[in-house]
This record gives sequence, structure tokens and C-alpha cells, in this order.
Amino acid sequence: MPRPEQKLINLTIDGREVQAVEGSMLIDAAKQGDVEIPFFCYEPKLGEPVGACRMCLVEIEGIPKLQTSCSTPARDGMVVNTQVERVVDAQNAVIEFLLVNHPLDCPVCDKGGECPLQDYTFGWGRGRSRVIEPKRHFVKPLALSPLIAIDRERCILCYRCVRFSQEISEDWQLIFTERGAHTFVGTHDGHPYVAPFSGNIIELCPVGALTSQPYRFRARPWDIEGAGGICTLCPSQCNVEFTVRDDKVTRVLARENPGVDDGWLCDKGRFAYQAIHVDERITEPLVRDESGELKPAGWDEALQAARAVAGHRGRTAALIGGQASNEEAFMLGRIVREGLGSRDIDSRPRGSVELDLARALAAPALQAGVQDLEFAHTVLVLGTEPLDDSPILDLRIRKGVRRNGVKLAIASARPSALDPNSELSIRYAPGAEAEFLSGLEWAFEHPGSGPTHDLAQMLRDGGEDVVILWGESLPAEALATLLRIADKLGLAGRDGAGLLEVPTGTNSRGIREAGALPNAGPGYSEVDAGRSAAEIAEAAIAGDVTALYLFQVDPVRDLPGRARWERALANATVVVAHASVLTDGIAAHADVVFPAESSAEKEGTIVHPDGRLQRLRSAIKRPGQVRAGWQVLADIAKATSVETGVLTAGMAFKQLVAAVPFYAGLTLEEIGGRGVRWPETEAAAAMPAGKVPASATPGSSGTQAESNGHLRVGTYRSIWASPEVDISPALQFTVAEQLVELSPEDALRLGIEQGAAVQVAQNGTRLSGRAAIRSGVPVGTAFLAAGIAKDSANALTENLVEVVKA
Amino acid sequence: MTRHLLFDRIDEPGLNTLSVYEKRGGYGALRKSLELPPAAIIEEIKQSAIRGRGGAGFQMGMKASFLPKGDMAKYLVCNADESEPGTFKDRELMQKSPHTLIEGMIITTFAAGIHHAFIYIRGEYQLQADILDAAVAEAEAAGYLGEDILGSGHSLKLVVHRGAGAYICGEETGLLDSLEGKRGNPRLKPPFPAIEGLYHGPTLVNNVETLGTVPTIMNMGGGEYAKIGAQGSTGTKLISVSGDVQRPGNYEIELGTSSRDIIYGLCGGPKEGRKVKMWFPGGSSSPVLLEQDLDLAYDFDTMAKAGSMLGSGAIIVIDDSHSAFEVAQKVVKFYTHESCGKCVPCREGTNWTQKFLARIESGEATPMDLDILASVQTQIIGNCLCVLGDAMAMPIGSIVVKFRDELEAEIEAARERANAPIYAAA
Amino acid sequence: MSAIDRRPPVKRYEHGSRVPGWDEAVDLTKPPATVPDPALTPVPEELRAAIEAEMAKYPDSKSASIPALHLAQRHHGWCSPEAIDQVACVMRLTPAYLTSVASFYDMFYLQPKPSNDVFVCTNITCSLLGADEFYAAMSQAAEGHDVSVRGFECLGGCDIAPMASVNGEYVGPLHLDDARLIVEDLEAGRPVLEHKQLRHRACADPGAASSAGAPDSVPPNPAAPEEPR
Repeated sequence: MPRPEQKLINLTIDGREVQAVEGSMLIDAAKQGDVEIPFFCYEPKLGEPVGACRMCLVEIEGIPKLQTSCSTPARDGMVVNTQVERVVDAQNAVIEFLLVNHPLDCPVCDKGGECPLQDYTFGWGRGRSRVIEPKRHFVKPLALSPLIAIDRERCILCYRCVRFSQEISEDWQLIFTERGAHTFVGTHDGHPYVAPFSGNIIELCPVGALTSQPYRFRARPWDIEGAGGICTLCPSQCNVEFTVRDDKVTRVLARENPGVDDGWLCDKGRFAYQAIHVDERITEPLVRDESGELKPAGWDEALQAARAVAGHRGRTAALIGGQASNEEAFMLGRIVREGLGSRDIDSRPRGSVELDLARALAAPALQAGVQDLEFAHTVLVLGTEPLDDSPILDLRIRKGVRRNGVKLAIASARPSALDPNSELSIRYAPGAEAEFLSGLEWAFEHPGSGPTHDLAQMLRDGGEDVVILWGESLPAEALATLLRIADKLGLAGRDGAGLLEVPTGTNSRGIREAGALPNAGPGYSEVDAGRSAAEIAEAAIAGDVTALYLFQVDPVRDLPGRARWERALANATVVVAHASVLTDGIAAHADVVFPAESSAEKEGTIVHPDGRLQRLRSAIKRPGQVRAGWQVLADIAKATSVETGVLTAGMAFKQLVAAVPFYAGLTLEEIGGRGVRWPETEAAAAMPAGKVPASATPGSSGTQAESNGHLRVGTYRSIWASPEVDISPALQFTVAEQLVELSPEDALRLGIEQGAAVQVAQNGTRLSGRAAIRSGVPVGTAFLAAGIAKDSANALTENLVEVVKA
Repeated sequence: MTRHLLFDRIDEPGLNTLSVYEKRGGYGALRKSLELPPAAIIEEIKQSAIRGRGGAGFQMGMKASFLPKGDMAKYLVCNADESEPGTFKDRELMQKSPHTLIEGMIITTFAAGIHHAFIYIRGEYQLQADILDAAVAEAEAAGYLGEDILGSGHSLKLVVHRGAGAYICGEETGLLDSLEGKRGNPRLKPPFPAIEGLYHGPTLVNNVETLGTVPTIMNMGGGEYAKIGAQGSTGTKLISVSGDVQRPGNYEIELGTSSRDIIYGLCGGPKEGRKVKMWFPGGSSSPVLLEQDLDLAYDFDTMAKAGSMLGSGAIIVIDDSHSAFEVAQKVVKFYTHESCGKCVPCREGTNWTQKFLARIESGEATPMDLDILASVQTQIIGNCLCVLGDAMAMPIGSIVVKFRDELEAEIEAARERANAPIYAAA
Repeated sequence: MSAIDRRPPVKRYEHGSRVPGWDEAVDLTKPPATVPDPALTPVPEELRAAIEAEMAKYPDSKSASIPALHLAQRHHGWCSPEAIDQVACVMRLTPAYLTSVASFYDMFYLQPKPSNDVFVCTNITCSLLGADEFYAAMSQAAEGHDVSVRGFECLGGCDIAPMASVNGEYVGPLHLDDARLIVEDLEAGRPVLEHKQLRHRACADPGAASSAGAPDSVPPNPAAPEEPR
């Protein structure tokens, strides 16, 4: 779908000649002439203007009544006045009306000092009050949710928060109730406003009506500084601004980047900053002593202990978690390959992908950008649940459907939150991704009917700009088919079309590009292939791998095959870990634990799934004994006789750029605060070409074992499944637990009621959870949560389970 | 003075049924219209120069011609929300001759190429909605509604939609939001409904009486219809007269009739010994007129020239047994209750005005406060999203100006009742 | 529980306006109110069918929210959370959306109420002619009976002022004694004040009279109290 063209026109505002984009609202056009027009309700991100606050009234010559500049598009030759008497009178009037009931409790208001109502009252009000009538008074503040406090006295009913709930997150939970001056913001029947993006309303509120429970009364605006950063809690990599007071992050705000986040944050990104400053955080090196206990140690002692890996040349393997930076991945790759003479390094939790295929999937011409989701003709969401896997994309897809008429199709095993917005939703059995895609490929060539054919037709005939958002959970054999489908649709090289991966880890893309793969070096260069993650585990059990280097990853929690990893870690002679929390695997098996940096501390770069290099900058001093990851790695490298010469994060970046041909010429300055998409740069030509394998014989259709009343297992990773959430005090109410999603039919058959305690059993493994009955779950399937601290589905090894009442 | 086009023998038993309506020549105008090219119908309506009967008084033919041509989903919505205080004329028409409205709507949709029409009737009018439902079913059964109406190729689905009690749904865009199943908050204009209305489609919104007049116009011819009434106010008008008159009710008059003839002649004026103190010429939203204005001709332009408006044609007469303050309180209470709360000047302005009057009543105000009260009204006028704020501010403004002395006396009396201290002590 | 819930409420002005709901915090133990899952929300079959019939009337089924709330209110007696959940389930909307809509309109009840409704018009015309006194009398007469009495804004029955709508039936002009009669008629299950029902009233315009006479014969008025004007 072509994006709207922008034409410039001329108009006069307060006597100034102003050039503005045709169709832009006068309130925005006025900024071009340095004319500020005050407003409360206007927020273009929220969709069509509502014109409710009446603060932005202006005079337009030729129109008798004052008009709202937030809803009047600029036209060529318009003459607009904002300083004439009747406009000033109207603005004075609106301010006076707003203050009829606003409590003016600014001294005890959290918004004080950063409050639009304060500023506009000063700038556009009369400066005196004629109101002596009693104001409304109510109990305040009240809890709207565990995260948000509401002060209804202060509310000016600007519509922003309810529009967010209705137009952006589309959860339709936050509403106006009653009418007229009695109107108030609330929810249905006393239910809390708990939704994945609820925190955005705090930032949208132009007064102190909605305040953050964790931030309330923590600071005044003059106590704080803002520091730009990136949230690294998921692959969305939203741009944020850390509010810093006394070297502590006290709040996270959105830092709008249309190419990344559109100015929104999920509640995990907004509130899990608390994990930076809690006691559970590891802030000093730990070394396991003779008694087998992890004890705080000095850096010298810890580094000395970690240098033990040097004694395991050729038998050391490394795993890297998604929160590592490109530089860290690159340096660790050098340590493993050059220093330790090993080939075993991996960052993919689900098995490796052939180099040719991996290159083809990362081909610059095939990469869709985040904004393409918004303007495509058709978007196919394949094998991922954006709300859980990359939440901010959920909002972007909704926006495309709502505002631009993007046609949405969903193909997944598990019902999706986006199903109601889609034209077509297809369910396949968990693990049957490859068969599904083969069927789709076949449907392109052969006439027929049914959902797969409908999808083929939708993709082929619905317009050229097709974006396929696919999840890393797709098995390797499905990926070749995916590429062939992309080829059939002509997505390569087409602006506004392409593939966009939702990887498991935040910086999975950058880590791979930096060479942390068993079969590829920096820049997808060819290397002698080493072991994949799963093979590393087997090798460790077999004794072929004797030392493990775990960089911000706990395989026991994060990777499939929990029991296998427990044995592998137990079997290894040396386990060195970088971690910020003592998760199960680290606590039980690590010999040395280096405190890892949080994203508010780290200096470095990461790569967004769409190829945008983004820069992490340190916003606060590293707490306690925490050292920079690159610095620790440089020390370890030295012990393995690799002289990196890295003395700053910037130097590490330069070495990375030198090693990855398609990053050539990039500088930190250029990446700046907005990032640079390398697939759009000239250097992208240096990306080695991949090959799309020819059509393979249809994969074995995974003959199903006799179910015998057991349920087939699908897994999901909730948005809340993260160690940072586990230790953030404000998010305790939402810490992910084992919710076993069942179809109503199976629940009825098994006599299980909504919310009941259940046991999930398989081969002697037992997990406890609670039943979540959900229409749309296919009969015969149960979906289990993975990535959680307790009872995680990664303990299961087979694809059938028995679910019983506990 | 009276002339009967819509109310002609409307009390005839059974007129609400199709058989009686047809016996009287009902649906003849439709048959005649279906023979004409649609544009010719719009032309007849334009020639009739009929102005909207709901309140705004915009020419119906002109509004219909704003509708974009072409094959797209367009809608006709009949505004039967009749909630302006003092107005009850549409009620009588719908209850007693529902087919007049339905016939007018079919003709209008044929003329404008519309295939989906709604009657949005206020939820309180349950009897009338039931009657409309029955009439629609009868018309459908007889082939006046549905596919290929009378072999013309025109099709129309007509749905009677009941509201649930909110004055603001009489405002056309509030009505559209309500019809879409939302809170009845008015929308920003532009875009006007004729361009983007119901479900974002071009939408014609007309009052019951306006649409009900269409069959008459088609029967008489627009030119003939335009000869009735006054310059700029053609035709007859249904008016609702209530308050301090001896024969309240609905009347059909020729526009341009003297107001005195209506209030005294038709309705018998206030009861013996009382005289007209003030009157609302067009519902409670219209600035009040006084006894000296009784000889004004009752038509759109004359009322506007006198600083008020004809509005919906609802005349509320108040005699000298009532105080201006009492009237102001009732008006303000109504608009405060009915303000939808969307825009600031209306929500806070009506609320503040109500608190103001409460303060006067409790003896806490001084005559100087009347200046602030008047100023608050001017701060509302012209600054709101829709006309509801103005609808309170204009009559209240007019009462403050026209009855200032009386209000000052009321303030003094209230202070005395409350034993309030002398001003200087404040 | 967060700290702010434990704080005792602060007593301030007692004379500010007070609205039900304003002072209520959410119940943090409840789950968020999302679109009800059909598997977990039983809906009476006749109610479901009636709501679906309404939805089918409109190009966009959301338009049926007001008719559907009318249906649910009739079924449950008021727009209870349960009633709203059921409508939300059938219409695939959130309960909050419907609460928001219902609370906007005067005819929906978000609190339990008696089964009979008397709306007494207290707008200008009616109040000029004694509506406030009648409202007081009506409220008093209804005490202890299954009758809800509300002062209402203009109902469009100013020709029979002062008037009221009794379960939808317009009656007037009302005398103070009628308050008691209304309650009696309601309790006896009779048509209410039949001789004062608007449906039987002829149009005031002399030209409206049919040659055949008045529309329906108005039943004789047994009590014939003097009209209050």
C-alpha cells in the first residue's frame, strides 16, 4: 500500500508565512512558524482528533466561528490568527472552566512541574479566578490497578486514556461512565484496569489524574534527569527514556521512534526497571567455594577462577542470551574460537539453521521494517503471538488494520489476541508448522478450497505489499518453504514488503550477525561448524564438553530440555556465567558468576529484528561491583591469549564493524538516538548471499502417536515470563505462572473448571498449574507456559501430556 | 391561520393502519414519485423551499443535494428523538399517522439513492415506537418497503431504532454515534453527516415533520407548497404550545401567523387575570421573548430578527404568576443534566451556572454576581463542540438581560431569608 | 494492597456534587474484564436469540448495543453486571464498553430497582403547572411499594402537564391524588389512570378532528378530580 505523499503548502499564522504539509492539522502547522497553540485532548497517535477540550480554538479568516486547530487541516492560503482578542478570550474561558472543578492541589500532586495544565494556566489563563463555588471532592487517590492510581478530582476528561484503551490497545476496558459533569473514568463493575499496555495512560494524562504507583512521590522534575536508552526485555527494543534520580532509575518513559515503537511501551518495559535496584540483583562477583556455596568474591578472585576455562581448550562451549550486546557476542566469539580453539558457540535456543538458509533469511532485500506492518496490503502473522513475543508489534498491527485497512491473516497453533482483527485465522497443530507451510506452498499452485487456499489467495491477490511476521519457533524445515513462498510473492527487493522475524531473544539478530552461531562467524562468514545448543548439552553429558560459558543465559530456565541441561551443567567441570539474577540453573551450577549489566548501564549496540542498529548508553552508574561486560570479556580473552586491545565500548564497536562487512562505515554517532537500518545502507551489498533450497519432498507429516485421551502439547511464553518481572516489586501481581490453556470441550471431559489446580504429567515429570479454559483452543490440545521460574513447560520432552485435576 | 396538511383529520380512527391511510390516498405520492427521475424529486423539494422542522431550519432540498452522487452506502436517518423541552408535535404525527412519515422516507430515499434508513425514536416514546414498528411491518408486507418497491427497482430497509433517554441524541451527530451503538456524544463538524455520517457513509438526517411533509410536497408540487406561508418560511408548521395557556397542544399553522393569534387565539392565552410574562418561541433553547413581542409573525426570519429562534416550533408560555429565577433554574437544571460532558465549556459551564443559581437561592450571592453569570454565558457561546452549551447560555443570557431587576430583587430577598451579612462585610 | 488503599478517607466538603462510582476504587482481586469467553459465560437462550435478531438488523452489529441493553434490562430487571456480561458475550464486546454506553442513557439502571417505573416530568412546562409537588406526592405514595419514582426531564407530554410516564404509558394532567391511584393501579395490575392516558387524547388542533369523531372513545373518568391548573 503506497504511503501517503506529502505536499507542502503555504499559509499565514499570526502574520508569519509558514510552510506545512498539506492536510496536517493547523496545530502542528503552527509549530513551523514557532507558534504554540495549547491543547489537552489532541494527540495524533490516538487517531482522529476529538476536539473536546476546546483549548486550541483559533480564528481562521473567512470562517465566522472559531475552529479547533487540532481538527482543521492546513490548506494553501489559509490565514490563521491565534493572538486576537476573541481567541485569547476563548482560551481564558477554557482554562477558567477547567479550573471550576480541578482541585489545584499542585503542591501535593505528582505531576507538579511537568503538568500541561499548570503550564497552560500560566501561559493562557487569566491568572485570577472568579470561581467561589465548592468544587467536587472525592476520596483520592484510588487504585485503578496495582500499577496506576487515579485521582478523579484532577481529571479534566480529555479522553486521552480512554481513547488509548479503545483505539490503541483496543482492550476496551477503560471507559467513561455516566454523563455530563458526572462523567468519570472507570472500569466495568470494579474490575482493575489490568492490560499489557495500561501504563501508557499515565504518560498520556495531561494532569495528575493518573499516576504511576511505583513512581508516586519519588521525585520532582528538578530532581531528575532523563537519559535515552533502549528497553532490552524483548525483541521490540522500544526506545525509552530513563528517569534518573541519584543514579537510580526511578521511571521509564517512552521515547517515540516511529520506526520502532510508535511511542508506546508495554507494562513490562515500563515497570520492570525495578529489577535494576532490588536486593535480588547480583551486584558483585560470586565464586563457588569448597563447601559448594556461591559466595561474594573480589574481581581478582572471580576472574582468576574464570580463567580456568583456559584449561579446557577445545572443550569449552558458550551460550549467549538475547540481552547480550553485539560487542559482547563478538568478543565472546573470539574467546571461544580464537582463544579456546572451540567451535561450540550458540545463541539459538531451538536448533541451528543451515548457513545458506540463515543467510537467505537475513538477506537485506527481504527484510521488512516495523513500519511496513502498518502500510502493507496484507500481513501474515505466522507462528508467533506478537502480544507475548514482541508486544509493541501487536499495537502496530492493530494500527495498520484499524487506520489503513491492512488485511490481517494469522496462522498459528495457539489462538491469538489478534484473531478478532484478522480476516483469516488458521490453526495448525502444535509442531505442524512445516506441514502447514508445505500445504500453503502447494495451495499457491493448485486450485482448491479451504482455509489454506483462502490464505494463498489473500497473499497472492490482496496487493503486492505482503509482510510475513514469523516467529523463531518455526522449525528449520519450515524455513525453506517460507523462503520459497516469499519468492513466489516477489517480496525480495520490494519496498514495503518482506519478512520480519520475531526472534526469541532481544538481540538475537545482532548476536547472530556478530557471529555467535555454531555455523557462522561475524557477518555470516563461513566457519568450521560447531555444536548447536542442544548438541552442546549432549556433549557436556557425554563429557566431550567440559567447560560452559553462559553469557546472560540460564539454559535450565530458558532453553528446551530442562532435565538435560541440569545434567549437562552438573557434569561440566567449569561453569562461568554472566547474570543479574540467580535463576535456578545458575544458582545450582555456576562456579563463577559475574554480575551482568542492566540495559540502563550497558554501553554498546544491539540490532532490532528489522535490521536497525540501536545504541545502548549508560544512564546510571553501574551499581555495586558491576563491571562492563566488554571489560570482563576483554580480561577473560587476555587469559586465553587473545589480545583484544579493547579499552572502551566504542573500541569494541569499531572491531565489530571491521569484522562484519555489511556494517562497514557505521559509526556510533550515526546510529545516534534513532538507530540505522543496515539493510538500507550501501554496505548491505556485502551481506553474503544465501540459497533457497528447492522444494523438498513434503516432510514427514509427523505421524501422531496414539493420543489415548492425552493432550497434545503446545507451549507459549507469556509477556510476563521474565526474570526481571519476577523480581520487580510492582509487577508481583502479574508474575507468570503455569496457566494450562484448555479447550472448553476437553475441560468438560476432564471435569476441570476454570482456574482449578491441575497436574500435567508425562513420563514421570509432573507440573502443577491452573486451568485457563479458552474458546478457540483446538480440542485435544493443551498450551503450557514456558520461560517461567516454576513448573515451566521446558521440563517436558514428549508432545503428549496427561492433564488431571490436582 | 390554521391550514391542515399533516394534521388534516388526523384523529380519524385507524389512520395508523395501512388500510385507512391508503383509503385516504396514502402512498399515492410515492407511486407518483417513483415515476419521476430522482433528481426531479429533489428539485420539487428544493422548490418547496421547506426548511428543516427539527430546530436548525436548514433547507431540506439543499441538504439533500449535498449528498454525494454515486453508488456507495448512503443512509437516511429520521430524527425522532424529539427531546427539546416543550416539543411534542412529532409524537402526535407518528402515533396517529405513521405512514405519512414512512411514505416521506421512501420517497426521499428513492430521490437520494439510499437503501438503508433508520428512524431514531426517543426511548420514552414507547407507544409511538410500537405503532411505527407495526406500520413498518405493514408497509413491508404491502411491498412499500423491501426489495424492488412497487416494481420501481428501488429497495429500502427501514429500521425503527429506540433510544434510551438522552437529549443530546437529538443533536444529529450525537444521534449518529448513538445509532452506531455508542455513547451519544456529538462529533466534530466538519465532516458534516451529508459527507461522512453513519458508518462513515454520506447520511441525510431529517426531522419527522420534515420527512412527513414530503408526500404533501410531491402531491401539491413544490411550487404550490412554496406559496403557503411567509417569505423565507414556506409551508405549514406543526407547533406545540404548552405552559400557561388554556388549550395546550399541537396545532398546524401557516408560517407567518401572528404569535398572538397562536397563543391567545388558538390556545386561549393564560387563564383569567394573568398575562404573558415571557415565552419561549422555539423550545427552551430559544432566548425568551416578552409580551410586547406577541405581535411578531411566527416564522423563521422574524423570530431570528427578534433575537430568538423558531427552533422546533415549541412555544412555552409563562405567565406573571411565575418568577424569572424559577424559569432559569429549570432551564439550567435541564441542560446541566443533559450536557454530554465531552467538551469543556458546556460541561463545566452548565455545571458552574447551576452552582451559581444554587448560590443565589441560598442567599450567598450579590447582584454583582449577575455580571459574572452573564459573562460565563458569553464564554460558553460559540466555544462548544455542539450547540447544547449555547442552548443553555442563550436563554439564560436573555433572562439575565431582560429580567435583571427581578433577579436582583430575588437575590436581595434570598439574602434576607438567609440573614446574610451586608455586602461590605464580605 | 497498595499503601494508598489503607489510608483513611479524608473528610472534606460535604456539599460538593456526589456521584455513585466516583469514590470507588477497583477491586484488585478481580481479573481484568475482557470480552467474555462464550465457554465461561452462560446466556439464557431467549435472550441470546433476541440480541442476535437485533444485531442482524444493522450493517454494523455494534449498533444493536442499546436495543440489546433494553432486552437484557427487561430480562434481568436492571443492567446488572451479569446482564452486561451476557450482552457483551453475545455481541463480542467488553463489558466495560456496554457499561459506558448504559451509564450514558437515563433509561438504563446500573443499580437494582423496583419493577415499576414512574418517570415524573419536572421540566419547565410541567413544573410551572405543579410537577414538583406531584413528584413529592408520588415519591411518598410509592414508599414501601414495588415502584421506582424518578424526576425526569421533558418527556414530550407537555400538553398533558403535569404528567408522568408509568411503565411507558403517558398519563396526565395529574392531580396530587393521582399519585395514590397510580400505585393502586400498578399493584392491581390494571391499566394506569386509563382516563388520563395520552393514547386516548384527541389532537388540540380543531382541524384534526375526523368527521367520525375523536380517535378512540376516552373512557369515562370515574373520579373526575378537578384538574390542578
